[in-house]
Amino acid sequence: MQVKALEMIRPSLEELQHKAQWMSLLMLAVSMHVLEAGLPGLGPWLKPGLANVITLITLVLLGPRAALALAIARVFTGSMLIGTMLTPTFVMSLSGAMAATLTMLAAWRWLPGISLIGISLLGAIAHMLAQFVVVESLFIQQSAIYYLLPPFLLISCATGWINGAIATYITPRLFHRIHE
Amino acid sequence: MKGTWADRLLLLLVLAGIGISWQFVHVLAGKGEAMVTIYHGQTQLAQYPLHAHKPVHFMAKGALGDSEIVIDHNSVYFLESPCRNKLCILAGHKHEIGDIIACVPNRILVAISGAAKRFDAVVE
Repeated sequence: MQVKALEMIRPSLEELQHKAQWMSLLMLAVSMHVLEAGLPGLGPWLKPGLANVITLITLVLLGPRAALALAIARVFTGSMLIGTMLTPTFVMSLSGAMAATLTMLAAWRWLPGISLIGISLLGAIAHMLAQFVVVESLFIQQSAIYYLLPPFLLISCATGWINGAIATYITPRLFHRIHE
Repeated sequence: MKGTWADRLLLLLVLAGIGISWQFVHVLAGKGEAMVTIYHGQTQLAQYPLHAHKPVHFMAKGALGDSEIVIDHNSVYFLESPCRNKLCILAGHKHEIGDIIACVPNRILVAISGAAKRFDAVVE
């Protein structure tokens, strides 16, 4: 009786593998988040968005729900580690990560002919736009802040494209390793 | 690395959008004499000409404390700030219409805009 009950609550090997993979990717994403926070001179506005590469890989390997959960968990864990929890930086990171992930999920599902590069590009643009909207509406409250938007979007285009190329290179190799 | 035709089309559309928004911002920033405006949230704290004869040291009271803003040698910059990362100080000197420096934690914005209103600039 007890053995049967234990078997019912014990997760399957596949489920455990899925969780282990998600945790590994989360640790990688948190490392990227912390690394980016330490980069000199770029600050919370401009980051290479390397953590977004991991979100993209998670989307392909483990699905949309896992990718969204990873993006949120990454911001919370990363912010606790670098000491920015509940600061404006945290709000900007969370809004940017959520907007980027939701945009990438939508593009992955509904945009035909688009590769990981295009998905990453859209994610980077959404990330930057969300950050500006949040900063304008919650902190600065002046539309002059949008003077900065065009050059920042241009940089997002470049980083989004490069990150998409990195994800395109890594994903099939990682997928092969996982399913070997 | 090159992406699909859809990726390249998307990039083209995004770049076109950025180009249009850049033009829009240029018009919005105005023309004429460059003025430095300092805001805390929705409140305008001060406005000075960028090309002032004497250096200006302005203490802007923000959410965390006082930020010291200097207008000197045809440029504006943050000298001191109570924020943690000091990104506003690291932003350096700004000297052109359309340039801004924002201190998000202290909720202070410094913007350089043209004295002529944007609609005047359009008519010109």
